[in-house]
Amino acid sequence: MTKSSYRIGLLVPSSNTTVEPEFYRALPANVTLHTARLFLSRITPEAILKMVEDLDQQSRLLASADVDVIVLGATAPSFLKGAGYDREVIARIEQAAGKPATTTSTALLRALRFLGAKRVVLASAYDDKVNAIAQGFLEANGFTVVAARGLGMVDNLAVGRLGPDSAYELARGADHQDADTMVLACTNWRTMDVIERLERELGKPVVSTSQVSVWDALRMIGYRREVPGYGQLLRSLAAEGRLAAVA
Amino acid sequence: MYGWRGRIGLLVPSINTTMEAEFWRIAPQGVSVHVARISGGRHGTPEELRGMENASKQAAKDVAMVEPDVVVYGCTSGSFFEGPEWNRKICDQLSEIAKAPAVTTAGAMAAALMAGGHKKVDVVTPYVDLTNERLKQFLKAHDIEVVTLGTFDMLDMFDHAKIEPGEIYRKVREIATPKSEAVFVACTQLRAMEVLDSLERDLGKPVYSAIQATAWQAYQAMGIDPGVTDCGSLLRKLSEPGVTEARGKHRKSA
Repeated sequence: MTKSSYRIGLLVPSSNTTVEPEFYRALPANVTLHTARLFLSRITPEAILKMVEDLDQQSRLLASADVDVIVLGATAPSFLKGAGYDREVIARIEQAAGKPATTTSTALLRALRFLGAKRVVLASAYDDKVNAIAQGFLEANGFTVVAARGLGMVDNLAVGRLGPDSAYELARGADHQDADTMVLACTNWRTMDVIERLERELGKPVVSTSQVSVWDALRMIGYRREVPGYGQLLRSLAAEGRLAAVA
Repeated sequence: MYGWRGRIGLLVPSINTTMEAEFWRIAPQGVSVHVARISGGRHGTPEELRGMENASKQAAKDVAMVEPDVVVYGCTSGSFFEGPEWNRKICDQLSEIAKAPAVTTAGAMAAALMAGGHKKVDVVTPYVDLTNERLKQFLKAHDIEVVTLGTFDMLDMFDHAKIEPGEIYRKVREIATPKSEAVFVACTQLRAMEVLDSLERDLGKPVYSAIQATAWQAYQAMGIDPGVTDCGSLLRKLSEPGVTEARGKHRKSA
C-alpha cells in the first residue's frame, strides 16, 4: 500500500442488510467503505436482470467519491448468465466509473483458484433454480461441484433475517468427503461468524461470498497484511508472493 | 439479522466520503448503517443542491428495502438551502417513501441548538458566500442569530473531506467569540466529530457538528442510546435517564 488510507466502493442489492456490516467488521482501520444500492427485492432471474440496469448510474456515483476499487457485492447478479458474465459486468462498471472493479463471482473464482480448489460443495441460500445456475457457473469455470444444497429462499430480506447458525448447519449437512473446499453463497446470508469454526470442524478451506468479496477488494488495493478471524483466505492476504500470481 | 437493535438508512451525497465511516464508527452493538447515494454534483451550486432534493427520493426508495428504523438525509446545505419549509418537505417525502421517521442534517442542526436553548451561535462552514447567507437565514427562521461565521470557502464539496480535524479545531478557535453561547460546525464532509470534546473543553461552551447533530436526532428517533462518550456533550445527552426511552417507538419484528 502506498497511500495512507483507501476507499472501497460497494454496489449492493437494495434489500441486502448483511454485506455492509460484514465488510465493516473485517476492514482494516485505514480502509473505509462507500456504498451505492441497486434496486432488488427478490432473488429471481427476472428481478436480477432488471437490477443490473441500474449498474452504470450507481457506479458513476461511487466514482464521484473517488473510490480506489468497486465491488459488486452480489453473487447471483454476477453469475446469472453463465461463464464470462461476471467479466461483462466488470467491464460495464469499469467503463461507467473509470475505476478498477470486481464482482463477488469473480472474487469467488479467484479465491478458489488461489486456494487450489478442484472439487467443491456448494451451500447457498438460493432456491433450486438459482442454485443450479450457480453450480453451472462454477462448473463452466472448471470446478467440480460434488454436492449442492440450497435453503430455497427467494425473498432477499428474509435471507438477511437468518442467523449465522443456518449457514453452519447447512454447511455441516452438505459437506462431502470428496470435496476439498466448501463454498457458502449469497452475500445477504450471514456467514462470516461461522467460517473459522467450519474450517476447524470440516478440515478444509471454507469460502463465503462476503469473505471473498472483502478479500478481492483488499487484494486489489494492495493490502498485504493478514485479516484474522474469518478463515484462511483472509489471513492469506499477508502472502505477498502467492497473491502476485492471482489474475 | 444485522441491525437487530436499529437499522439506519443513510442517504449521502454521492461525493461524500466522511459520513458513512463516522456513522459506522459510533454505531453500537446491534445497530447497522445502510447507505444509498444521492446523485448530484460536487460544487454545491444552487441547481445541484435543489436537484438533490429530487434525487434523494430514489435513494430513499432503495434504502427503504432494508426496512430502516430511521431514514437520514445527510447533507447540511442540501437541507437548509431553500429554507425551513423546503427542509420539512424533504423530511415528509423521505419519511413516506422509507416508512420511517426522517432526519435531515439542517433539521438536526436547528433541533440541537434549540434543545440547548441557544440564541446566539458562531458557525464554521466550508461554504461559499451565497450558501453561508442561506445558512444564516435558516437559523434566523429558528430564532437563532449567527454572531460570527468562519469559512474555509471551498466550492468543491469533495475537497471538504480533505480538511483535517486539526484545521477545523483551529478555525473554530480563531473565530469563536465570547458573545456566542455555542458553536456549530456545518457540512457532513467535515471531520469535526473527533475534535468536539477538545473544543468544548477549551472554549467552555457546547460545540456541535453536522454529523454529530444528525446522529443525535437519528438515535433519538430510534430510541437507542449508542453510549458514545467521546464525540461531544450532545451525544452524551442520549445517555441521560429517560431520553431514549421516551422517544423511541420500538418496532415489532427483527
